[in-house]
Amino acid sequence: MTNLMISLRRSPRMLLERDGHPGPGPGKLGLVVARAGVGKTAFLTGIGVDALLSGQKVLHVSVERSIDKIREWYDEQLVEMLKRERKLEHLSAVQLTMERRRHIHTFIGQSFSVDRVRQTVSLLRDSMEFVPAVIILDRMEYAGVDKPAIADLKAMAAEIGAELWMACRTHREGPASPGHLPPPADAFEDLVDVAFSLDPQDAKVRLHIIKDKEKMVERDLNILLDPQTLLLVPGVATKK
Amino acid sequence: MSSDIHKIRNIGISAHIDSGKTTLTERILFYTQRIHAIHDVKGKDGVGATMDHMELERERGITITSAATHVEWKNHRINIIDTPGHVDFTIEVERSLQVLDGAVLVLCAVAGVQSQSITVDRQMKRYKVPRIAFVNKCDRSGANPERVSRALRDKLGHNPVLLQLPIGLEAKFEGVIDLVEMQAIYFGGDNGEKIEIREIPAELLADAEERHAELLDAASMFSDELMEAALEDRATPDLIRAAVRKGVLALDLTPVLMGSAYKNKGVQPLMDAVTRYLPDPTDVPIEAIDIDHDGAALALHPDPDAQTVAYAFKLDEGRYGQLTFLRVYQGTLKKGDTVFQSRTGKKIKIGRLVRMHADKMEDIELASAGDIVGIFGIDCHTGDTFTGPGPRISMTSMYVPEPVISLSVHPVDSKAQDNMSKALSRFTKEDPTFRVHLDPESNETIISGMGELHLDVYVERMKREYSAEVETGAPQVAYREAISRRADFDYLHKKQTGGSGQYAKVVGYIEPLTEGDYEFVDEVRGGRIPTEYVPACDKGFRSSLAKGSLIGFPVVGVRAVLTDGNSHAVDSSDMAFMTASRMAFRDAYKKAKPQILEPVMRVSVEGPGEFQGAFYRSLMQRRGTVLGSTEDAGFARVDADVPLAEMFGYSTDLRSATQGKAEFTMEFSKYAPAPKEVSDELLKKYRTNVSDEEDA
Repeated sequence: MTNLMISLRRSPRMLLERDGHPGPGPGKLGLVVARAGVGKTAFLTGIGVDALLSGQKVLHVSVERSIDKIREWYDEQLVEMLKRERKLEHLSAVQLTMERRRHIHTFIGQSFSVDRVRQTVSLLRDSMEFVPAVIILDRMEYAGVDKPAIADLKAMAAEIGAELWMACRTHREGPASPGHLPPPADAFEDLVDVAFSLDPQDAKVRLHIIKDKEKMVERDLNILLDPQTLLLVPGVATKK
Repeated sequence: MSSDIHKIRNIGISAHIDSGKTTLTERILFYTQRIHAIHDVKGKDGVGATMDHMELERERGITITSAATHVEWKNHRINIIDTPGHVDFTIEVERSLQVLDGAVLVLCAVAGVQSQSITVDRQMKRYKVPRIAFVNKCDRSGANPERVSRALRDKLGHNPVLLQLPIGLEAKFEGVIDLVEMQAIYFGGDNGEKIEIREIPAELLADAEERHAELLDAASMFSDELMEAALEDRATPDLIRAAVRKGVLALDLTPVLMGSAYKNKGVQPLMDAVTRYLPDPTDVPIEAIDIDHDGAALALHPDPDAQTVAYAFKLDEGRYGQLTFLRVYQGTLKKGDTVFQSRTGKKIKIGRLVRMHADKMEDIELASAGDIVGIFGIDCHTGDTFTGPGPRISMTSMYVPEPVISLSVHPVDSKAQDNMSKALSRFTKEDPTFRVHLDPESNETIISGMGELHLDVYVERMKREYSAEVETGAPQVAYREAISRRADFDYLHKKQTGGSGQYAKVVGYIEPLTEGDYEFVDEVRGGRIPTEYVPACDKGFRSSLAKGSLIGFPVVGVRAVLTDGNSHAVDSSDMAFMTASRMAFRDAYKKAKPQILEPVMRVSVEGPGEFQGAFYRSLMQRRGTVLGSTEDAGFARVDADVPLAEMFGYSTDLRSATQGKAEFTMEFSKYAPAPKEVSDELLKKYRTNVSDEEDA
């Protein structure tokens, strides 16, 4: 089962593997920036699926979304991956393993706060011995998260040894200043360790690496992603 | 009263327990003059709400079985099916949904979208029932209808649109602003029966105008005419209503109304909304099965002159015998007519035809397509279809979940024995998820159902309605057995020692089947097994599934493939091939790595946020897989998949862990392999029982 799961990995996150970590590693903040509707949530879900397939525990935090909806996204990606590998008969077993490694926490209404995320992380640790290795924060723009809040979240992730992933919606207008992340991500760019951008081109999506503090990739990727899943298309050389 | 089919509405009222659904129904009956005084659920006056017509329901303050009632409102005929609020009675909800054309989703203005609403909404989606939302209890402290409307979007994925705004909230709740007509509605008189239309209070006007614009935006998506009119500032209430109706029928829009049924506010506009936005019987496509043409799909038309097709969705034992609730889908049912029961082909004469008003009834002469009526004196099951002369038609069969829990019942004396038999025969006709069988080994009567509460209620009903005193055994979980890998078989059954012999050889394999319980594949070529014996092989394999060799529970998910074999001109027979297949299965089953499957329930626990940790712990202790949690305005909900075997006594434990402030719902989710320690325990228990029986 472990080998099968590892063989399914196709997220660009695997390009960041180093020091034995299947991603950028504990305490690091990964960011994906794109315009509305390009697929930031699908990309983040892909990061989550990748971590689960690597055997890591994932906490997926979202705002104004139902648990069922988020589970659906994970399941859809998994089905797609297994279909491609012609291993669909393993769906329920892989699904169950992933479910046991994943916790989805959603905030409805105005209930989101960094304190509440912190408290949830403690509750999960104390009540279920669940300590995530990867935390995904989706739709943070709806929660009005600002730079101090992101710094707090990053610190919390570092305390428990987790890697943090977020998405940021950029605007059509307003080009980035050279050497900086596009607004509004530029406001907290010193906190970001690695940033991808998703660039729609006709019906396809091109992936660039626009920040790489610790030179994990060493070159811009400039590759096309599978437009349906926003995962790497088979055959793209990974770092290893 | 109009007999126009466009003026008929068949609606359900669905909600979480304590959302005030029964109170709302009671007020509807009052305003439509079906009752002349208002009673409350668990009323201080000792009368109880009219729709809760069973004694047990009155005592527990919950609605257990559906009751149908007919009301008239502004030249429309509305049939209301009151649906139960507890998931253990899901079949009641599902049966109602099948015959409904639309529904009112009642939500509490304080608690919002609760776990039961999520379950009921999921069921409504399955049956494609268009719905409107009524945010009740706006007079309660903490009421916030706008938050509830948002939760409809966030938690249920609806596209809600406010048709009203509250005038004041909590203790100051006075009435509602109608955002279509842009006017204020107040409810005067002793029982809110005096509607007063006034101008929108000045302090609320700006907000109302903004919301009116939002309504126009949302409704315009369904009507180009309204979009053009809105751009030119000439949108009329009629145009808005027509567009909203279109959105509702397409299941793409959920109008949100509000009020306080208890304080008699907002109910009449809700009735108007039912007639304006919910579908009439001609708006909903009806599909039946043509029995004479291999079960081909057949579209029915709600034409009163076409062949009669009616569907029994509910049975009730009344003072005058069995009362069957029918939905007439096509044609007309007349008193004195003869119809045919599709399942049995039996001829049935319609003796007495009635319209139901909870416990009271009104005799009628005929019922046309689209109507819901009751008939007396026919012997049938729920789910039966009745047709007039012509092709044999059956309504699509209902989705019936398999029972997941069993209980043995022993009558305390011979009188109780007779009464228990009567009661069980009645209950199984009423409720397809309630099953009864006699265990051939223990000779005990076993009842099975969808949960502890489901069976509790039937045991209680046996005592109350049939004076059948019974003792019950410990609840048993309905386990299953399944193979986990392919295994070949090659079995020769040969007895040729004197007299007529037996000879049959079967070769093939069994393998796991992911969809369905059993499949038989005949791949024998060249007549190695003569065709006439192949069905006997199928029968032999099938009969092996009734009781697995691990713990004696049914085997599911098996594909049996027959590839080769042999026969004897004289000594082969059906019996020989059946025996050979049974023995082949027995051998192959052991090699196919059989495993025990246990029923897993989807459990949602909900309560104040301070108990979030307690929810996690309680579910983990019960071998639950926690799927996620949701926080909403100080409340927390945790969803998990938990094996049913671990859920006994959960309500008591949850109550004590949370001082009674939390609640949970559960419904069947799936069968999943039991972990090793659980399987080992079950195997040990089964072996001990078998050896005890052998010793005895």
